[in-house]
Amino acid sequence: MPRLTARERREAYQREHDFQVKTGKAFFPYAIFHDTVASLVTVVLIMGMSIIWWADFGPVPDDPEAGRAGGFLGPAYENRADPGTEEYDPRPEWYFFFLFQLLRIFKEPEMLLFATIIIPTLLMVLMMAWPFIDRRPERRVSRRPIAMVLAVATPVALMFLTWEGSKAPAVGAASDHPGAAAFANFQPCGTCHTLADAGTGGTVGPNLDTSNPDYATALAIIADGKGAMPAFKAQGLTDDQLSCLAGYIATWAGAQAGAPGPKAPTAEGYPDSCTAAGPDYAGAGAGG
Amino acid sequence: MAPPIPTPKEVVQIPLDWVEERSGLVSLHKYLLFRNVPKDISWLQTLGSALITTFMIQVVTGILLAMYYHPTADGAFESIRYITDEATLGWLVRGMHKWGSSMFVILLFLHMGRVFLMGSYKYPREMTWLTGAILFQLVMFMSLTGYLLVFDQRAYWASVVAININGTAPILGPFIAEFLKVGPEFSENTLSRFYSLHMLAVPGGIIAMIGLHLYLVIRLGVTSPPWSKHRAKAGDV
Ligand code: HEC
Ligand code: HEM
Repeated sequence: MPRLTARERREAYQREHDFQVKTGKAFFPYAIFHDTVASLVTVVLIMGMSIIWWADFGPVPDDPEAGRAGGFLGPAYENRADPGTEEYDPRPEWYFFFLFQLLRIFKEPEMLLFATIIIPTLLMVLMMAWPFIDRRPERRVSRRPIAMVLAVATPVALMFLTWEGSKAPAVGAASDHPGAAAFANFQPCGTCHTLADAGTGGTVGPNLDTSNPDYATALAIIADGKGAMPAFKAQGLTDDQLSCLAGYIATWAGAQAGAPGPKAPTAEGYPDSCTAAGPDYAGAGAGG
Repeated sequence: MAPPIPTPKEVVQIPLDWVEERSGLVSLHKYLLFRNVPKDISWLQTLGSALITTFMIQVVTGILLAMYYHPTADGAFESIRYITDEATLGWLVRGMHKWGSSMFVILLFLHMGRVFLMGSYKYPREMTWLTGAILFQLVMFMSLTGYLLVFDQRAYWASVVAININGTAPILGPFIAEFLKVGPEFSENTLSRFYSLHMLAVPGGIIAMIGLHLYLVIRLGVTSPPWSKHRAKAGDV
């Protein structure tokens, strides 16, 4: 269909509107019946999900800070938020998984802005602007090839990203080098970073085995954060703990066949800082 | 002379006339209920009212939750525990709010998909789409602010990451991040700010936008699906 003039457009709408009013049926009781059925189905689905969720709850824990387990639809609640330590899972609600997955695809620091800001903003702008971009009057999807492609590609892409995003990063066993256990288990680092020595496979942040930061770089970023990387000084880590993590990364990131990695000489105070940082940091091989 | 005794019909009619004369509300309702909609309207066109229903569920369960919830670092997790484990049917209220939010997002995508497929955003309905797109963003913002309130590990860390991501945006990013955190660091005030946005500010915006959205839908009228045989037969395509 060709573009219409403003007047033709107005008249076409008026004609259609008159036709619908003339030949239509009253909202009440006809259309509202359908609406009520759809609403009831919605309410039943929501209650059904709640009941399935609840039916799988584990026992109420004695520890007032502990989480309560659940089944297939997830726990009733996890452990109480603890800004300091313990393992954690920075995963968002499922409908943000596709954004979360974008973070992993554009994980190089220079590219990260694409995932965090540029792509979501472009999508939002495109959505708002769409009726002003597609102004042809044709409504049948079979005659709107671009719309048809978008209508197929968007859900497929969203579902694919959501599915990929739902898979948790794989985690192996941490070595017993001082700091490895802290990196992998007591701090959330492994959720975002890959580091073979610590057995972690996170992909939100850079792969530390390949980026191989030296001690000073690592220390600054761990303490003060950068981009999506949280600032751990603000999370209450002591100077020894920060230094231990930085020293561990400088020494063991990119390690080959048990020999320390290329930046090992830059590590200051390692592994003594780990011994000073407390038992979670010292690890089995502390001091050696 | 005694006034005549009103008949049963008049007992209803007189107060209605009184209201109608002073407000026009009765004829407005008659118009809303008895206006004609296309004869062969499709089931896909009920998704919008399913969204309204879901929103009402969120409002009602949200009000009930707010009666027990404490937006403080010490109280938040405690009160969620109380609601889930102890309060009568608290699990159901919290469950419906939680799963209602998932349902809301699914319905939002489906409704948007149907409007897109039927080309219902085209002239003269561009503004209807625009108000819908704003609603979409407001609802997503609701999810973001609601997620923290449980204040368990996942809620906390997902919110820290989300705020930090916002902070990486050029120019405005750091301001948005500081606004959400209430200062340079994540603190108890972050929780109250999220709570106030989640249960007061954003729902207010959503209610206003739904009002505008529905006004436009009713004013312009919905169309029958583009594949409507009924219209084709009447030679009206
Ligand atoms: C939420 C995900 C996340 C968590 C958790 C996280 N990081 Fe990061 N990290 C990142 C991202 C993203 C970057 C890249 C920042 C940038 O350059 O913009 C990064 C960068 C780094 C760097 C610098 C890498 C380089 O080559 O420049 C180091 C070192 C680092 N993180 C160590 C850690 C340590 C140690 C922990 C745990 C205490 C940790 N990270 C936890 C996401 C995370
Ligand atoms: C809180 C969220 C929303 C609510 C409660 C809502 C409600 C409704 C209702 C009740 C209708 C009537 C027809 C129908 O049900 O299909 C409608 C139509 C419409 N909606 Fe929404 N909607 C929401 C979000 C959106 C979004 C996200 C978009 C798109 C970006 C959108 C775009 C439209 C358009 C263009 C129409 C007109 C369709 C026509 O006239 O045939 N809406 N909406």
